[in-house]
Parts: sequence; structure tokens; C-alpha cells
Amino acid sequence: MADLSLNLCGVHLKNPLIAASGTFGFGREFDELYDISQLGGISVKGLCLGGRLGNPPSRITETASGMLNCVGLQNPGIESFIEHDLPWLLTKNVAVIANFFGTSIDSYCAAAEAFAPTGVHMLEMNISCPNVHDGGVAFGVKPEGVYEITKAVKAHSKQPLIVKLSPNVADITENALAAQEAGADAISLINTLTGIAIDVHKRKMILANNTGGLSGPAVKPVALRMVWQCAKKVSIPIIGLGGIMTGEDAAEFMLCGAQAVQVGTANFTDPYAMPRIARELDAYCDAQGVKNAQELVGTLIQY
Amino acid sequence: MIDIDAKVLSSEVLAEGLIRIILHAPEIAKDAKPGQFIQMLVPGEAHVLRRPISLMAMDAAAGTLTLAIQPKGKGTQLICSAKEGDTIRCLGPLGTGFDGNGAETIYFVGGGVGVAPVCGAMDGFATETSHAFFGFRTKNHVYGMTQAPCAVTAVSDDGSIGEKALVTKPLMEAIEAKRPDLIMACGPTPMLRAVQKIAGELNIPCQLSLEERMGCGIGACLGCNVKVNLEDGSWTYKRVCKDGPVFDSKEVEF
Repeated sequence: MADLSLNLCGVHLKNPLIAASGTFGFGREFDELYDISQLGGISVKGLCLGGRLGNPPSRITETASGMLNCVGLQNPGIESFIEHDLPWLLTKNVAVIANFFGTSIDSYCAAAEAFAPTGVHMLEMNISCPNVHDGGVAFGVKPEGVYEITKAVKAHSKQPLIVKLSPNVADITENALAAQEAGADAISLINTLTGIAIDVHKRKMILANNTGGLSGPAVKPVALRMVWQCAKKVSIPIIGLGGIMTGEDAAEFMLCGAQAVQVGTANFTDPYAMPRIARELDAYCDAQGVKNAQELVGTLIQY
Repeated sequence: MIDIDAKVLSSEVLAEGLIRIILHAPEIAKDAKPGQFIQMLVPGEAHVLRRPISLMAMDAAAGTLTLAIQPKGKGTQLICSAKEGDTIRCLGPLGTGFDGNGAETIYFVGGGVGVAPVCGAMDGFATETSHAFFGFRTKNHVYGMTQAPCAVTAVSDDGSIGEKALVTKPLMEAIEAKRPDLIMACGPTPMLRAVQKIAGELNIPCQLSLEERMGCGIGACLGCNVKVNLEDGSWTYKRVCKDGPVFDSKEVEF
């Protein structure tokens, strides 16, 4: 039995496994299957003030070793979440990470501020959703945009601020550095890679949004490379994600320099994926003779 | 709702392009209701999304689930390649199914692979005055005809079984003879749209079972949402996997 716990920006996590935003709702559905307090944290479904209806169907489709989605940030609104879901979630003894977005700097700041009086443990700012035209992607593309939005939102954030980075950029390390310089407490990467899927018989796009975000094992090598590159540049904590299906996958991200990881698509393949991955990571640590999983972070042997 | 390794008791051709799999899944069968579905894991590691498959029959006493699967894509083909004795990981029962609501006379309407969940609904809710109307492409595609506890009228696209007609023709004739208390339907979108129109015009309560590509299957990811109309004239998105797959036809916006 290894010690999987960690301190992430002053917040205690039982283990480095965080449910990735958009794959886990607000935790209620998965809590019917297992006690979600076994998890390190939950990054809730992306929220904005006033809520959002999202994109028309079809919103999801499988691709080779992965999937595309274009849900389009459908959510009931920060106000509704705080009133109806957060009180329940806070009884669960799991770190609650409020994933949020806006459509302008002002609305991003107002969203971050709305969480200030709540018991939410951390904030995760989405500046990189590829599926909505006004969902902040403009801020997430260039380092100047990342710096500007992070600087402004940090001033309105009471809780530690994680900035979630997009892989659909020229050089993700530039954006990671910009987030750090602007005061981000941590970064998470990668969000999904923009892609398309085609029904070749109908000669037609499968997703109603035409493009969607690619996730799952197909993106893992890209995600690992980006975490590894960013870890060499920034000193703030990194949360790695992209195609983690097993405990060994989680360990790979930690070896690259991630203190914590997020699990998304795997929740669909195996609804019990996260408690299983925690057990597997524990077994991996034992096999490696590692007493505390944090000893793995950044210890990758490189050529 | 539980995730279990269900044992394949039998797998055989049910009709042209359709495989019937009977699973031993007592933990799911004991709670399963007509119109609900299961999420089946595709064997191998290449497929990250499970396949939602509706329940054609459920037997709590025997602990079995009967499925009719169209092996159209790679995932369903792999599921259908399972042999007797194999196990398939299944999550269920899932979703909100049909509701008999105490109706005396129910008209069931099924088309193609959509006949399967309608068979489950007939097992649960059919009375002697109920009547089922099935539409098939040809006589080779016919299934679900024997287990019905009420009268069944089949039609086909080519007239090789029953009348050469759309299923709505005998349905309309039956409604004119005797108005039902409720209609339950599952099938291709054009069929559901036609049934919705009939039910709407005649103000007959009607439940439609919808199909959509799914992610989690339990209501968390919002991947399968469809547009539904609200009573105040506005609309919203609802989850096919959790709020459905069966919806009041007045809600559904095709």
C-alpha cells in the first residue's frame, strides 16, 4: 500500500485521480455506482453564469481508440449548481473543482467571483473548449490571450486557479508559461484535440457541430509529450490528462511531471474506471518500491 | 443499475440482419422494465464507447435478458461474435422505459430493429384488447411475432408479408375502429414522426422510444441529448439515456 495522497495548491487530495470535466456530471450518477469519496477530486461539468443549452445532436461518436464530442458546454448555470448540486457534493469528502467558462473577460471574472463565497476547493478555468464559438477558445490560443484572461480572473478568484490548456495551439509551453506568469496556481492539460468524423456512405459529417473534441487513448501520446514539455518550463503544479485508462497510464503522466491526473473517457468505457485506476496505481507504486506516489513525479528517464 | 459480466446463453440469427442474444444477467433482469436498455462493452480494447442495446424481453425468474442486435458497425459486429458461454460486460438496467399507466387498450407500433423494445412493452402491458402493428422490409426480416400476448398485424415494404404498406395504415384503420387509450412506438424516425402526428391530431396519449449515439449511458455526459418541447412553449435538451429513451410524444421535436 503506497501513499497516494498529495497536497495540490494547498488542497488535500486522497489520491491524484480527478474526474475530468464533462465526463462525470456533478458526480451524482457515478455515486449510484460507487462511493465517489474514493476519488481525489471531481472537476465538475463546465459551468457558466446563467447556464447554456449546448449544441444540437448528434454530439458524440466513437473513433479509432477514442471518441469525439461536441456537447457544447451544456450546463444548468453556476447559480443552479451552487443551489442544487454543490451542497450535496460537499458532503462527499472529495475535492470539488469548479470548472467554468465565460464569453468575455468580464463574464469569466464574474464566474470566478460567484464561487468565492462557496465551499468549492479549486477553480478550473476552461479557455480552450473547441466546440463553442464564444466559449473562450479565443483566449486560449495565443500566449497573450492566456496571460490577459488569467491575470484578470486570478484577481477575482478566492480559490486556487487551475488554467486548462488547449492542445490546438502552436506551442503549448508558451501558453503554460503565460498562465504561470499571470498568476495561475496550476495548469491542466490537455483539453481535447479538434477533429471530425465522417459517415462515408452518406458522405456526411457525423457530428451536428461538424467538428468535435478528440479524447481517449488515441490522444495519450500527444498529451504525454505536452505534459513532459510543459513540466520542463513551468514550476507550478501540472494536472495531466488525455486517454488515461489504467493505473500505469496515470503513472506515465506522473513520470512526465504531472502531480495529479484527470480521467475522462475511461469513465464511459468502464463506469468503475477511477477506483480501479487508483488500485492499479497503488499496485504499480508497490511494484516500483515507491512509498509515496508523488515520488514518481518528473522522474522519467530520458534519452 | 449494476455493471456485471453477463454470460451468453445463446446467440442466433433472429431475422435477416438481426442477431438474438440471450444473456444470463440476473442482477440486471430483476430490476429491468420494458423500454429500458443496457450498455454493452465491445470486446477488445479499441472501443471506448459502449453500445446501448434495448431489452426485447426480461425474465426476472430465469435471470435472463433477450436482445435483438443489428450488427451494423464494428462494435455491434464484435458483440454479435460472442459465442455461447462467453461473457459480455453489461451495465444496466438503464433509462426511463414505457409506462402502461393503467391503460386498458394499448396500440403498439414497431418498425425494424425497433420492434424489439416494443416486444418488451407488449410483455409488460398488453391486454386482450391491445393490438400490435409491426413494419418490416420483407418477410425475411420478420421477428417478434410469436411472443405477443395480443393480436399482431405485420406489414412490409414489398408485400411479402402482410400488406405492402407503411405501418401507420393498419394503425389508422384500427384507431378508426376502436380508439386506444395509449400508443407505444419504437422504430425509424420517419415512422415515429408519422405516429406522433396521428397521436397529436387525435389527442391520443403516446410514448415514443428514441435512439441516439451515447456516451456514459447514465446521464452524466449529456452526449445523447435531444430537443424536447416544454409545456410553456419553450424547449430544452433532455438525456435519451436517463430521461428517456421513452418520451411523451408531445415532448419530442424531430
